[in-house]
Amino acid sequence: MGGEVVDEKRKHPVIICRCNDITLEDVERAIEQGCRDLECLRKTLRIGMGPCQGRTCIPLLMRILARRLGKRVDELPLPVVRAPIIPVPIDLFLRSVEEGDGG
Amino acid sequence: MKVLVVGGGISGLFIAYELAKRGVRDVTVVEERYVGAGSTGRCATGIRASFTSEEHVVLMRESIKLWKEYSSGDLGRYGLQFIQGGYVWLARKEETVDLFKKLVSLHNSLGVPTRIIDRDELKNLVPQLNTDLIAAAMFDPTAGKSYVFTTLFALFRACRELGVKIVTGVGVRKLVARGSRIVEAVTDVGTMSADVFVIAAGSGSRELLKTVGIEVPLKNMPRHVLVTEAFQRAFDPLVIDWDTPGVPYIVQTVEGNFFVGREIEEEPEQSIYSQRIDFIPKALKPIAQLFPFLRRVRVLRYWIGYYVTTPDNHPIYGPFEEYENLYVATGFSGHGYMMGPVTGKIMAEWILDGKPSIPQAERLRPERFKRGQLIKEFAVVG
Repeated sequence: MGGEVVDEKRKHPVIICRCNDITLEDVERAIEQGCRDLECLRKTLRIGMGPCQGRTCIPLLMRILARRLGKRVDELPLPVVRAPIIPVPIDLFLRSVEEGDGG
Repeated sequence: MKVLVVGGGISGLFIAYELAKRGVRDVTVVEERYVGAGSTGRCATGIRASFTSEEHVVLMRESIKLWKEYSSGDLGRYGLQFIQGGYVWLARKEETVDLFKKLVSLHNSLGVPTRIIDRDELKNLVPQLNTDLIAAAMFDPTAGKSYVFTTLFALFRACRELGVKIVTGVGVRKLVARGSRIVEAVTDVGTMSADVFVIAAGSGSRELLKTVGIEVPLKNMPRHVLVTEAFQRAFDPLVIDWDTPGVPYIVQTVEGNFFVGREIEEEPEQSIYSQRIDFIPKALKPIAQLFPFLRRVRVLRYWIGYYVTTPDNHPIYGPFEEYENLYVATGFSGHGYMMGPVTGKIMAEWILDGKPSIPQAERLRPERFKRGQLIKEFAVVG
């Protein structure tokens, strides 16, 4: 019986970070190994570093971590938000300066 | 012997690791934020021995030996990887090829097998490169890269296993001296005493040393790097565009993202949280000329980290004349990550043997600035 439950879990893992395929199990294991803040989770799991830049996973991660630490979500320090916020094609950056050069 | 290492970056952790391996039972690392939160976690992860001074070449030759040894030893079991993909230094101008030839003979004389490669060989190494813009290149086959957070995680686990105490989230605010000895460190949560104090606090080192009357000529220079979305493996070497001002570079990480960096005009001590979005097109313009496919790639983010620089761009290693139990390892001027393993070795030797086994390291003592014995570069870099 127990074995079936574990298998069931593996067949349908709960994905927290879709960019880097990080599951709820991965997050809980990292917390068990000693991660106590978002920076540690980000850096050990690379969660929040993919194309979504944390917009999908960080709110989920904050709720998991807050629950595990017995804190409120708004008590957790947020990771630094970095430009350009959403992924921007390099061509767009280059055309901005190339047009500038021409004028 | 009780040792307190201030700073939980690459240098502090390698120093603690080396001391513990050599049998020091009581080693504590104290870190203000989290492991790798300073310059270490912000670096571009390149590792090379192709430098322009004897000191750097010899130290990095030894460091690379250790990177290789560690990646197949205990740190490797915890995930440390060293990928020896090499460094390619591009010469857009013919006269740069002559400079590279001189550098190659310096490297070769010190046991680092760099060589000049022509455009055909370059095309094989970096197939995506537009070689029409290039006269020739210098190739350092011993160089490579290592992902910073897996390295830190491996070191953290290995240190803990060896009995090193790693205290995070506690800042050291001042040192307290009595006579010619440092007796304790005052932290956010009380004082910590030790027999030996090692300052490996990167951009915080200068202010901390001032609390015991020591002035070290360090400047914290903001340096920028951006990262793109991830792709399948394209090319292994880190590529340096030597003839473009600010010396842009590109490297593909183990995860497949591209890091692109370039030096832009900056003021020392400027906040690492300042916004300099103009960096992005400045860094990408020359690199996208060399790699046209990049135009279709997206930038995820960019960030800033400090190069903790000294007047001669070489680290400060060793004991101070003023105190008998105070040591320093800082001022790596952008090379602290790659030097991590050799830093650990040299600092453990200073502390346990009274002198480093690599003679070139002795020239890096803090007194060199007072005496005007600065390290000379074979070729002055941009």
